[in-house]
Amino acid sequence: MSKVVKKEYLEEAAAGYNLRTAREEARRCLVCHDAPCSEACPAGTDPARFIRSLRFNNVKGAAETIRKNNPLGGSCAKVCPYDQLCQEACSRCGIDKPIEIGRLQSFLVEQEKAFGMKNVEAPEEKKAGKAACIGAGPASLAAASVLARAGYEVTVYDAQQKAGGMLTYGIVPARLPQETVDYDIQLIKDLGVKFELGKKVESAEALKAAGYDTVFVGAGLWGTKKVDLPGADAKGVRYALDYLKEARESGGKSEIGNKVIVIGGGDVAMDCAATAKLAGAEKVMIYYRRTIEEAPAEMAEIKYVQSMGVTITTEFAPAAILEKDGKVDFVQFKGRDGQSEAKVKADTVVFAIGQSAEAVGGMDAEGVFVGGDIANGGKTVVDAVAEGKEAAAAMIDYLEKKAGVK
Amino acid sequence: MSVKKDLSIEFAGIKCKNPYFLSSSPVGNNYDMISKCFEAGWGGVFYKTIDLWNENEISPIFGSYGNAGEPWTGFKNCEHASQNTLEENLEHMRRLKRDYPDHVIFASFMGQTEDDWKLLCSYAEQADADGIEINLSCPHMGRENMGSDVGTNPKLVESFTRASVSGTKLPVIAKMTPNVTNMVPSALAAMKGGATGISAINTVKSVIDIDHDLFTTQPVINGKSAISGFSGAAIKPICLRFMTEMGNCPDLQGVPMSGVGGIYTWSDALDYLLVGARNVQVTTAVMEYGYRIVEDMISGMQHYMDEKGFNSLDELVGKALPNIVSPSELTRTYQIRPDFNEEKCVGCGRCYVSCYDGGHQAIKWNEEKRRPELDTDHCVGCHLCQKVCPVADCILPGELVWREGCQPEELILKEKFE
Repeated sequence: MSKVVKKEYLEEAAAGYNLRTAREEARRCLVCHDAPCSEACPAGTDPARFIRSLRFNNVKGAAETIRKNNPLGGSCAKVCPYDQLCQEACSRCGIDKPIEIGRLQSFLVEQEKAFGMKNVEAPEEKKAGKAACIGAGPASLAAASVLARAGYEVTVYDAQQKAGGMLTYGIVPARLPQETVDYDIQLIKDLGVKFELGKKVESAEALKAAGYDTVFVGAGLWGTKKVDLPGADAKGVRYALDYLKEARESGGKSEIGNKVIVIGGGDVAMDCAATAKLAGAEKVMIYYRRTIEEAPAEMAEIKYVQSMGVTITTEFAPAAILEKDGKVDFVQFKGRDGQSEAKVKADTVVFAIGQSAEAVGGMDAEGVFVGGDIANGGKTVVDAVAEGKEAAAAMIDYLEKKAGVK
Repeated sequence: MSVKKDLSIEFAGIKCKNPYFLSSSPVGNNYDMISKCFEAGWGGVFYKTIDLWNENEISPIFGSYGNAGEPWTGFKNCEHASQNTLEENLEHMRRLKRDYPDHVIFASFMGQTEDDWKLLCSYAEQADADGIEINLSCPHMGRENMGSDVGTNPKLVESFTRASVSGTKLPVIAKMTPNVTNMVPSALAAMKGGATGISAINTVKSVIDIDHDLFTTQPVINGKSAISGFSGAAIKPICLRFMTEMGNCPDLQGVPMSGVGGIYTWSDALDYLLVGARNVQVTTAVMEYGYRIVEDMISGMQHYMDEKGFNSLDELVGKALPNIVSPSELTRTYQIRPDFNEEKCVGCGRCYVSCYDGGHQAIKWNEEKRRPELDTDHCVGCHLCQKVCPVADCILPGELVWREGCQPEELILKEKFE
């Protein structure tokens, strides 16, 4: 019998380090000369530097490195695809297994919080020029942090009631606890960044007209790609973001049924499956039209859902939803080989097949910068942070030129 | 295949079933402890030191040195002599000798005056002990002119040894303190005073980590602490040095030596035998892991003897002594360059960093390949690169070059590094 992981919806998936175990792990680090882990971090978090600090007994210095380099260091620590980034690059892979960089980063951010450290600051005296960010997701938050620390007034707008974007609404809390997101955001608020929540901004130009000198568009991908299949209107057909958001807002208590099929092969599909399982669904099945090798989901997430007993069937795409009394009854699948077929009983079908951008006006106007999912078509949190940081640097350059500093 | 090699060895005229003894310390303080240790396989015990005073112990008594949660690098203790009554201790030893006649028991004593030493040593025969160790070396006595204060003064060593010997017919082993610049004068003084043999070392006077909140060291006793004895893995090299110096001293040839300090494994024990010990004593490793460690000390030594073709420990005693010489006697005619294995290399660059910052700037870093490249013009063959390399067999001894004007000759060299 396999030992299947059984946890509560709000329970964190991975156990954390304490000081002793974290330092043990840091001692496995080879302390490379030109550390490939640091080279591999899109957001420039510099794991080699913070692991070295930890190894040489400088916990606070380690926490400082993370926060200064990555305004969303806490959230990234939980959801980064390490196995494709820093940990894959780790030289220790040549000996046995990589340093657990993500877990170390989580531990250090917890220490930062426990010590009440203020690792980033905004100057008292503000520079000429006001900036706005559309969207309160990782790209905008990173941009806002960099701008505020450079001395600019920043306001972040978001259509949702809570800041964080996908971090708050799109990821299962077992992977990313809300308090981790909230802490990252609190530190950005502490820089004096203003948040205008529940306010959807349709156009960057409107903000420029309202007095902002520069605008960052990090509005993400919140449009749902509706499926065009027979039976797609049946009761029990759900879309990933709506489902994840509902689950987060209800603390995992949203109704999902007992037999759940999730369609998709990305991290969002894995999150939907995990959410359904943690919310108490008996049978959760993922169907993906391609192979595991082609799936965009991180291997750790795939293993995580499998450890809970979720099944993943590859190379099957949905062909029709069969209804009974207006509700989902079966899903019919066709195989990639053109010959195989399957008919699977289900109460609910969750489509996690990607999101689309909702149009934001004026994205190519002067002084408007774009980054994150809306620009890259939907990548990882750490990519969004990297693009937010990069955009902020360009915005500062723009503001300095405008103010005649440069 | 089970390897059975005889590990018996004579020490100070006493036949021992193996060279593994508990040292005089908290690990051998009563009948139950020592009977358990004998059952586990230890050949003998140096019973916990008996003195004439009963001082309350501090609390806590110990401090550990090294990374928390990992094997101790070193261990600091501030424990005094046995808290049992003299009668109790004599009774424990008597019962042990009755129940374990094939095992060896040394009583350990510590006095303050010549009369004390004589009186204490006279009790050993009542305890049916096989021999006596006189503790001239405890570094954390609550009284002056005792313990290691004695051991550092050859005159006191000689007179107290003489007094001890006068109280007994049993062999007397004098336990040395390492808190001296040279152990030979104290060892010679003990032999002059009539000792049968020498044991070395007692613990090293130490202050381990300083507490950064209370500004004292471990163990913290009501906001204060004291300099006290350091033991464990960290002190083994210091002790092996003293053993080697005594082993190579012409006036100490043939003196039975017992080695003490940082022994955890059969190979640690073998190190001591190779520099002249006929007996080894263990405490810190037992405090950390228990008596059971002797099982691997016995089995591991037997496997080594089998592999190398030795049949008796006597063949090993002192075997390294002729090969540990003055630095001025070492061959200085050649250099061995390191050989980097590019396949095994994981590209950490530690060899490059250390060679530049701590060596001779003889390694160039190929940034593209992320591999070291040796600059033979600068390499002095120090092998610091190998010492920092985290990969097994990645850096091996490579090309041997003779210094200009030096005559090539047959050399004895290592073929690989551990």
